[in-house]
Amino acid sequence: MKKDLNFELNILPVLDILSVLICFLLLTAVWMHLGTIDTKQAIGDNAASGEKNPPSLWVTLAKDGSIQLSLRDVTKAKSLEDSISKLSTGVNWAALESKIQALKEELPDLRTTVVRPEAQTSYGDVIRVMDQLKKYQFEGVGLSPLG
Amino acid sequence: MKKSSLVTQRKSPLLAAMSLKGSGKSQGHGAGKELALALPLTSLIDAFCIIVIYLLIGTQSGGVETNVSSKITLPGAETGVSIEKEIATLRIEKGNYFLDEKLIPKSALAAKLAELKTKAVQSVELMVQADTNMAYADLDPLLRAGSEAGIENLRFAVTPTR
Repeated sequence: MKKDLNFELNILPVLDILSVLICFLLLTAVWMHLGTIDTKQAIGDNAASGEKNPPSLWVTLAKDGSIQLSLRDVTKAKSLEDSISKLSTGVNWAALESKIQALKEELPDLRTTVVRPEAQTSYGDVIRVMDQLKKYQFEGVGLSPLG
Repeated sequence: MKKSSLVTQRKSPLLAAMSLKGSGKSQGHGAGKELALALPLTSLIDAFCIIVIYLLIGTQSGGVETNVSSKITLPGAETGVSIEKEIATLRIEKGNYFLDEKLIPKSALAAKLAELKTKAVQSVELMVQADTNMAYADLDPLLRAGSEAGIENLRFAVTPTR
């Protein structure tokens, strides 16, 4: 007597297990939120177009972590040339923040800033400087190419 | 009894489980007849799981889905803004430039960006993904190429710290 070959594959429990596995994988996956820091880069030459440059803050970031701040094209008779010494850990972020805050309180119309890093400056430090500037309502944050 | 009749008489246990039957005792005309289909619970669980997955994806990823290479550690920032539309991505990895996952030689960067700008209907934005420990010198060619191509909006990818 031959054996019966007809059988039914019970697919629903298999689908259930699969669905639960997908849920598990989704829950354990790394969901990383991504943001961006926006910059508006200069195109061409402003001097050629004859436009007057807006008052701006120039932040020069050295490789070792020291920072120089300077004001340009400010209508007031004030000029600023300030530097922030580095710490043993790198950039003195607290000092930079307090200086930016003080500057913004003194010149609230100052909105443009240019960050000038050196060739070997860490990209992370550049972004952090830009982040600090954005925090204090500097809208036109630009990056200067290497000289 | 022949074997063929045995096969044809066999009922599916799955269908049997899904149907409500009478008590088994003789109940006149409807005796042994299927009364109604029972609730197929397994299928409902399946559908429920799919809805859960859909909701998980919908709520957790918020804006546009973007791939970030596992070899890159993005810098953190407090003021990062979310990405609301698909934009071209330029990844810098060990001095190599990848525009939308395609390796671009440094010398051809300006031409490729100019091509991107001519193809675009609206103003071009470029998302830059680079490692936090990268030297600024590696970013410099991109800034120059972007300036040459006339791209002024650069968006640096960061991981929000707040």
